[in-house]
Amino acid sequence: MRHTIVPPYLLRRLTTLEDPAMAHVAQAALQSLAMDESIRRHRAVAVEHGAQRGARRLGPPARSIFDAEQTETVPGTLVRSEGEDPGPDIAVDEAYDGFGHTHALFRQVYGRASIDDDNLPLLGTVHFGRDYENAFWDGERMVFGDGDGMVFGRFTASLSVIGHELAHGVTQYTANLIYRGQSGALNESISDVFGALVEQRVLGHTAESASWIIGTGLFTDRVEGLGLRSMKAPGTAYDDDVLGKDPQPASMEDYIDTVDDNGGVHLNSGIPNRAFYLAATAIGGEAWSSAGQIWYDTVSGGTISASCDFAAFARATAGAAADRFGVDSIEHVAVTGAWAAVGVGM
Amino acid sequence: MKITVTRSGGIAGLTREWVVRVEEQGDPDSWFRLVEQLPWRPRHRSAPQPDRYVYRIAVSRRRITLPEQELTGPWRQLVDRVRDAAEQPEKD
Repeated sequence: MRHTIVPPYLLRRLTTLEDPAMAHVAQAALQSLAMDESIRRHRAVAVEHGAQRGARRLGPPARSIFDAEQTETVPGTLVRSEGEDPGPDIAVDEAYDGFGHTHALFRQVYGRASIDDDNLPLLGTVHFGRDYENAFWDGERMVFGDGDGMVFGRFTASLSVIGHELAHGVTQYTANLIYRGQSGALNESISDVFGALVEQRVLGHTAESASWIIGTGLFTDRVEGLGLRSMKAPGTAYDDDVLGKDPQPASMEDYIDTVDDNGGVHLNSGIPNRAFYLAATAIGGEAWSSAGQIWYDTVSGGTISASCDFAAFARATAGAAADRFGVDSIEHVAVTGAWAAVGVGM
Repeated sequence: MKITVTRSGGIAGLTREWVVRVEEQGDPDSWFRLVEQLPWRPRHRSAPQPDRYVYRIAVSRRRITLPEQELTGPWRQLVDRVRDAAEQPEKD
């Protein structure tokens, strides 16, 4: 992140320039102001944290990857520690690299020191179970199966899935949203958001050029589908003879009431997912530094309860957008408009 | 006796169901012996773990919901067996 030597009052004046020829100057000034605000806020947060528990260090990742060797016992055998070279096992190295990319997003963009903001080691287990078609966060570590080879390949093949699992850890240490019903769907959506953002940042994709697909590359060639979910158009990620059609709703009108899946947490997450996509594209550019920053502020800000529903979360994101970027800023307007578009009232 | 296993959740959010009629199986007695060992208990106790499966199991009219991490012992044996038996025709 760059610092600016232009004082804030001058930047504010530059943003009001009306001459079309100076439009780019006004825009640049706006961006610098937003960046300054972001830096000031990070400093304030860092000072606050430092005061709470002494000097806080924004350390490098401390990764350990284990191999369950097709059993369901975790952690398994340690196969790669931080700083060790890649080996012959692609799943091990994908997990290692994916943790690194996700750690970097939280550290470099949001100033967060790992999952717990206190440099928690990142633990991963690969080759979990036999034909295991899943990945999960067990409260301490990220666990990945190899898939059945018919529908799913190995779950480390998707960076957005690795980011999704690590983000469950971040949520556990922040808002700690209860994994049921609407708060559970928000927990899921937050993992999709940061999973997508890790991938977009690594690929250099903007909100406009990104796929907004979670789990690209997980399906085998036999499946008719792009991935597990589409944040851009929930309900359209796959349509396959074996899997059926992607069941995700895209707005509150189609909210699904069910006892399965802890109350449909992987289904109704489509609604807040699309709200994020709409906010990010309305703002434009790099989603991780705009809408992503607002969502991160909301999750980590201590203003939402563990049982938070969609409406309360929507209000909190609007508040976070106003705090960071200003009332009626492009960002604030984009966020409120996005929730309205998916039918979530504030 | 009909046994239905419904698996939901997982990061993919796909729901799958396997159904077995015990009387139609090769050795119904071994199925009954397994069913008699099932430790029925009130609702599951542990907090859900993100992206783990949730199993809903119905044996005749008795029902239980178990998170994957509590699917152990006879419950695990039952689910594996139902799944294998229900998927058998597809493997032919």
